[in-house]
Amino acid sequence: MKQNILKLGYLLLGLLSVLVIYLSYMQMFRGPALADNPYNHRFQEYEAQVRRGTIYDTKGVALARSDYSQNKSKRVYPAGQNTAQVVGYINELYGRSGLESAYDRNLLGMEGADRFRNLINKLLGREQLGGDVTLTLDSALQRLAMDMLGGRRGAVVLLDPRTGAVRVMASSPSYDPNRLEDIWPQLLQDTQKPLINRATQGAYPPGSTFKIVTAAAALATDPSLAQKNFECPGYLVVDGYKLNDTAVHGEVDLTRAMAVSCNTTFAQLGVTAGADGFQRTVKAFGLLQEPPVGIPARAGTMAAAGSLIPTELASSAIGQGKILVSPLQMALSAAAIANKGIIMQPYLVDTVKDSLGTTVESQVARTWLTATTPEIALKIKEGMVSAVKNGTAQAAAVSGMQVAGKTGSAQNPQGQSHAWFIGFAPSDQPRLAVAVILENAGSGGTVAAPVAGSLLAAAVAAGY
Amino acid sequence: MNSVGHKRSGQLFSTFASISRNRMVERKLLFLTGVYTLIGMLVLFLAMPGSTGLIALEAGLAAVAGFFLVHIYWHFTGFRGDCLLLPLTAVLTATGLVFLFRLNPAYGMRQSIWLLVALVALLLTTRLLKDFRFLDDYKYIYALVGLIALVLPIFFGKEEGGAKSWLDFGLFQFQPSEFVKILVVLFLASFLDENKEALAAGTRSVGWLNIPSPQEWVPLVAMWGVSLLLLVFQRDLGTALIYFGTFLAMVYVATSRIFYAVFGMGLFLTGASASYFLFDHVRTRVETWINPWPLIDTTGYQIIQSIFAIGSGGVTGTGLGQGFPTLIPAVHTDFIFAAICEEMGLAGGVSIILLFMIFVYRGMKVALKTKDDFASLAAAGLTAILGLQAFIILAGVTKMLPLTGVTLPYMSYGGSSLVANFILLGLLLNISHEAGSRL
Repeated sequence: MKQNILKLGYLLLGLLSVLVIYLSYMQMFRGPALADNPYNHRFQEYEAQVRRGTIYDTKGVALARSDYSQNKSKRVYPAGQNTAQVVGYINELYGRSGLESAYDRNLLGMEGADRFRNLINKLLGREQLGGDVTLTLDSALQRLAMDMLGGRRGAVVLLDPRTGAVRVMASSPSYDPNRLEDIWPQLLQDTQKPLINRATQGAYPPGSTFKIVTAAAALATDPSLAQKNFECPGYLVVDGYKLNDTAVHGEVDLTRAMAVSCNTTFAQLGVTAGADGFQRTVKAFGLLQEPPVGIPARAGTMAAAGSLIPTELASSAIGQGKILVSPLQMALSAAAIANKGIIMQPYLVDTVKDSLGTTVESQVARTWLTATTPEIALKIKEGMVSAVKNGTAQAAAVSGMQVAGKTGSAQNPQGQSHAWFIGFAPSDQPRLAVAVILENAGSGGTVAAPVAGSLLAAAVAAGY
Repeated sequence: MNSVGHKRSGQLFSTFASISRNRMVERKLLFLTGVYTLIGMLVLFLAMPGSTGLIALEAGLAAVAGFFLVHIYWHFTGFRGDCLLLPLTAVLTATGLVFLFRLNPAYGMRQSIWLLVALVALLLTTRLLKDFRFLDDYKYIYALVGLIALVLPIFFGKEEGGAKSWLDFGLFQFQPSEFVKILVVLFLASFLDENKEALAAGTRSVGWLNIPSPQEWVPLVAMWGVSLLLLVFQRDLGTALIYFGTFLAMVYVATSRIFYAVFGMGLFLTGASASYFLFDHVRTRVETWINPWPLIDTTGYQIIQSIFAIGSGGVTGTGLGQGFPTLIPAVHTDFIFAAICEEMGLAGGVSIILLFMIFVYRGMKVALKTKDDFASLAAAGLTAILGLQAFIILAGVTKMLPLTGVTLPYMSYGGSSLVANFILLGLLLNISHEAGSRL
């Protein structure tokens, strides 16, 4: 009988041990998700006790701050609709989004030493304080980008290819986060989806801007293509299907083919790279994963490896077919060419400070991906420079500085083509990489390229 | 003459020496527990506005003094019960009391009065029932009293939290099932002690199987019936599970026949699955357990709030008084553990579980040290029922198992539960006193 008692004891201790393991799993691994669940009202409860920190742009301009009057706080977004999707909002009724949500714990003083300080503050009946967050965004450039989008559907991303710091992330149409209570029902029903951050979550066919990726894929397979000439009769036959080009480009080299955006040449290059080579390069450019930018972002998609038959490959090579990517991803692809094949990890938050002003988190530039080799990047850059000098992207030119770029006019089922431009400047020492898209707005060279040009000029004038 | 006198004085001296060193471990541990309790109450005193903080502090002092008085009484009466069980209980009770004051001072005040009642009950148990062996003789009285106590709420009971297991006495409410669990253990210990040979061997054979004669197994099947009665009429899933689990454990301990445990589990599973299809409230519980999220506005609300609290605690917790456990409905009774996990974190939650594990370890040690089977069975049964109850509610509030509303022993708000579990502690200590185990 004593033996049985021993077994019973082991059973009970075993059950309780399982509970210890399960509780550890719940609190350590499931915990963060449960704490951030929108149905969990703890943040709202906590917020009522704390003076929430401020979100600043890179120049120290407030983008989100709390105003207090009669012991009641109101969250104010001075940049209004210009930064709505990136900065996000906090609202008792409609939850939280964007960086406001991502940095909740810092802004509310719930991290590190602030937690202890606020415990003391609470015990002593003093006000509890949150920390501040400084972004890499420049609100003046952001406003310019939004003005140029002018309420049309589209997005603009401007970033530093050397570090990954994002200077502009604009998404249009937008909304005023200061008036959520009045506009929420319309926002949800709006077919133009202003709540979506098109810059990171948009899914667009990249059109001819994708040719820089195709070129990288082909050159990785066969470096001698850099010296070869191609014949463009104005069409290409693949597997018995005839693909029409926009014009008869005659005999062109790779640089010229890029400058005039020759579909025949690039469809051929895609087929030359082969399904595996093409997909490998797409992956190397990070187009099939979520860019780790700290707010929700969409991973790009393309036809599955098995269904990448020659016709699909040819149309994917010119950015049509089943390829869908976001403007941020295309800006990062341009940044790869600008930065000798290296993509730096994109980031929006420069520093996080605690309630005493001590920096607790500071972003350092770090490599995200190696997209291609310096030689290939240089070759593609030649084509992009040529496109702005005497090709399809001339409208992006900026006086006193050489811009490199690539236009795109992506066909889509919704109507007129999407106008695309991606590029960087100055071409010899790139400091700025840009992506512009305007949905169903026509040709990239006439609609998107001028927006990019003006933005690059303004950014350089502002000292970037 | 001289030599006799010398012998007597030597004996006296050794008795005195043993008394002065008596229960040293208990005293030291209780001292630490006292410091722990008062620090907790002090934090509340500092954070709470007005006189409630002061009352919390006073209640803490009263509780500490109460535990010490019990200890001092045992010290001078030469009580030889286990020295770890009282301090363990004191830590658990004090943590519960601190959290009750933090969650709702009104409940804290009532609970501290109940704690004093429970301490008196403990004292009386260790005094009046010190020679517990006479308890062996009244097994059918336990069965009868227990049954009546369980049946009463079905007719006169008050429904609370879906379970109809309360008797309303105006001034306070009384939950018979908490006390009946002690009678269940005593009845089983006594009955199994008497019939274990017959049950183990079996007196008649059906095919290859030896089964005992009806006199031996009918009372046991009746026990199974009582569990189902609780399940069906009182809708008290948790208590049914605890009774039945303890029942199986004790039958196994007495007979060494795993067959009974397996067969019993089969019976219970059959009953449980039948009730899943027959009764809405059982089905709701299971569905809420499997996926509470679509039911967040109705039956899933409470458990989701509980895991929100647990998840928000992290490893170190928010700190006492810094979380928002009051978002959980009924947090002071069944869900007090979720509040502890939020404010004391994984560290606090695991500590509580470890304390229960040590309790079970000491209880089983008492059962192993006894000289006869009745005492052994009773100690094992009392430990098992407490351990199971703790496990079932802890697993419930963390969503490891379907939630069944039972109290967390020594911690949840509730006078019946507190007093009953202190009597249980007293009985366990009496058994260990007889076995002469100290530390």
